[in-house]
Amino acid sequence: MWIPIQIDENRPEPLYHQIESQLRGLILGGQLTEGTLLPSIREFAASLKCSVITVRRVYQDLESEGLLRTRQGTGTFVAGVDAAAREGHRLDRVVEAFEKAVETGLQLGCTREEMEKILRDVVARQTEGREGETR
Amino acid sequence: MIADGNPEAAVSLRQVAVRRERFTLGPLNIEVPRGLVTAVVGPNGSGKSTLFRLLLKMEPYDDGGEVEVLGHPVKPGADESFKTGIGYLAELPHAYEDSLTAEEKARFASMWYPGWDWDRYRKLIRSFDAESPDKLKKMSKGMRRKVELACALAHNPELLLLDEPSSGLDPFAWKTMLGELQRYMEQGDRTMIIASHITEEVRRLADCILFVHRGKALGFYEKDQLFDSWRALAVASPEPGRIAELAKSPGLQGVAESAPGIYQLETDLAEEAEAYCRERGFQVMGSRRMELEDILSCLIRKEDARR
Repeated sequence: MWIPIQIDENRPEPLYHQIESQLRGLILGGQLTEGTLLPSIREFAASLKCSVITVRRVYQDLESEGLLRTRQGTGTFVAGVDAAAREGHRLDRVVEAFEKAVETGLQLGCTREEMEKILRDVVARQTEGREGETR
Repeated sequence: MIADGNPEAAVSLRQVAVRRERFTLGPLNIEVPRGLVTAVVGPNGSGKSTLFRLLLKMEPYDDGGEVEVLGHPVKPGADESFKTGIGYLAELPHAYEDSLTAEEKARFASMWYPGWDWDRYRKLIRSFDAESPDKLKKMSKGMRRKVELACALAHNPELLLLDEPSSGLDPFAWKTMLGELQRYMEQGDRTMIIASHITEEVRRLADCILFVHRGKALGFYEKDQLFDSWRALAVASPEPGRIAELAKSPGLQGVAESAPGIYQLETDLAEEAEAYCRERGFQVMGSRRMELEDILSCLIRKEDARR
């Protein structure tokens, strides 16, 4: 099974962190449903071009968060996720995306006012586009 | 890095030196972990092949050194049965096999390895698309390589030593090889040491990397930690002439002015170096992971400066 995880070579976060937060996102976002069998550690590592040490760590972390469970001899599966955790996660991801945008703004010397204006404009433009699509 | 009689290690070397007329390997202190793929990376003539031969008891080493492979001491007079648990692919084909066919080579190899599995051998030959009645010397370089790979894997060894396995393989055979090697490692308790020049091979296969140069070990790293921490930063300075300040960045490996007021800084402590630059009013314009070759050049430069 191919899991859509994209590693961004230029982000400062360590590899295991990128993989872990994206995999967590796929589970909490409902794209990977309960009972899905994940690739073996070696297979996953090969497809991500990372080491098995990293994948083992990610699986262990998510297992201790209750998102994965490992059955001896069969493999690692996606566990059930409750609705509250899912809702909390939805906002987490949006906050994370905004954080990245603000980081870029600061790097390019934007003022607070400029960024707030950009945000308002983008929201206005995109929601207008969306309504156009659905109509 | 070194623990006495570490059961987690497939190979351990303590103060091991191989001295030849024009080349010295070591002294080496290395532990290669079990269950993982370790890539040995270094320029030509850095001692990779000598290292492999050392593990197979084909290179005598100085007194005082200790070599342990799969828990067995490798020294004169010691039991050699541990070798049946090793699969070895030499860098160059053996001339004495020139007039053998693939089948004859396999039959010869099968006599040495109690774990030899003909079924496994034939599956590998088929998967590599290397079925041929020809003598080995009549085969193309790549075809012969595939036969040798199948022979090295046919007894499902506990430890696999591959000396530049992909030389001569076309891109399709190379992909098949990666797949077979991954399948081999999938068993979980197997260990592989692979000498390679090919960055992509290291990226796809390795868990750990051992850098070697002129017979010296320049460092043993967990691959992902290595690529996480080694970075090239592009840094802009608000005023000129501050390169000396950048040269004091944490983990500095190299710094150069790449355009007026813009510097490229190489570091093995990415996070700390970035914070250092920001604190001093530099603007960090970008940060990228370094390529394997660039990291190796940095390590070599450092080692050469030390000599």
